[in-house]
Amino acid sequence: MYNSFELNESVRRALELYSPSLIRIAFAYLKNTADAEEVTQDVFLAYLQKRPVFDNGEHEKAWLIRTTINKSKNMLKTGWFRSRNPVPEDLSYLPKEESDVLQAVLALDKKYRIPIHLHYYEGYSIQEIAAILEAKPATVGTWLARGRAILKEKIGGMEDEEVCL
Amino acid sequence: MKKSVYKSAMSHLKTSDDFQEATYIKLMNHKETMNMEMAKKRRKVTGWTAGIAACAVLAVGLIALNPDSPATTPSSPPTNTATTKPPIMGKVAVNIDGIISEVSADGRSFKVGELWVEVTDQTKLGSSEPTAAAPSEELLQKNFQVGDIVSGYTSQDVSTGKVTADVIYNLIAPEKEGETSEAKPAITGKMAVNIDGVISEVSADGKSFKVGELWVTVTPETKLGIDGPTAAAPSEELLQKEFKVGNIVSGFTTDDVSMGKVNATNIYNNMAPQQ
Repeated sequence: MYNSFELNESVRRALELYSPSLIRIAFAYLKNTADAEEVTQDVFLAYLQKRPVFDNGEHEKAWLIRTTINKSKNMLKTGWFRSRNPVPEDLSYLPKEESDVLQAVLALDKKYRIPIHLHYYEGYSIQEIAAILEAKPATVGTWLARGRAILKEKIGGMEDEEVCL
Repeated sequence: MKKSVYKSAMSHLKTSDDFQEATYIKLMNHKETMNMEMAKKRRKVTGWTAGIAACAVLAVGLIALNPDSPATTPSSPPTNTATTKPPIMGKVAVNIDGIISEVSADGRSFKVGELWVEVTDQTKLGSSEPTAAAPSEELLQKNFQVGDIVSGYTSQDVSTGKVTADVIYNLIAPEKEGETSEAKPAITGKMAVNIDGVISEVSADGKSFKVGELWVTVTPETKLGIDGPTAAAPSEELLQKEFKVGNIVSGFTTDDVSMGKVNATNIYNNMAPQQ
């Protein structure tokens, strides 16, 4: 259990360490930075309210990612989120190659998008992604393979650039 | 897909510059609100606890004060309560206590107040309690007379005005005037009267003095000073040998003060007035 000072420090440290990752995971889900930031704030609010105790930093990060995914899913389900017709995120500030790849990934179904993000951005293994998404590793492997295949169709890529999972 | 391209794209994603600081401030504000709400809840819980405790105390008090009242809701009709209640078992005993004002011709019944009491063979005479006084001769003879003090009880309905006594504890005849002085033992002992005050007059021989309207004579039998384990030793100052007008004197006599002249039994003090 934290005391007040420890909790404040813990939240500050977690914000510094993990908020960029959490915003990007939420962005991969919601395709909008403003919504992603809102969800990330909610995640830290839950952190403050629940005061979870972690075995280590990895455990803490996994809990935060899982919470971000759940809160992003919840936001996607809300009526107001579904009913709105948002302007697509402006990614023109990115170099064209990066923008194309990012747009291609965001165009994927979310069941492929998230494992791809966790693998390619966060560097998690299939087993780790399976643990975070509470799915079987084989299923995660299938999602990754299918996602990669779709991306290859869209943006191409050389055989030797394939990521070996 | 090039691994580095996706990672680079995501790394370049623009987010709010002050996200971390703004989030931290928002979280701390929320924490403050949470703390206030918790304090409010705690106060509310304390209030409720105190209220419930007070109600419990009141309830216990009411139950303690009305042990016979039904535990069900008081609004239930009285007829239902009467039917559901078990019948009261046992007999109601009514005391017979007072002076006999009338006795029947056969001498077996007497009247106490407005109640006629009959004494039958079933009537128990005397009390079986270990500390009870032995029944009087009058009682044993069933010799009830007007003026006798009687005590006992009946379990019959007294509203009929006539009952049979279950038990007569005792029957005491009133004391007759002639018998009283003979029977009573003579009072022995003496009455002591305090002698307390300022000497207003002293006799020529100096052995008598007047306090108020009483002449007090100090004889060789008069005890001087105060006895007792805690009494101070008599001093010249507190107990002067010579009785003078104005001295404060205290003591007592067992003589009859109505005569206006007594011998002192004991003189505690004979002090000169303070200058």
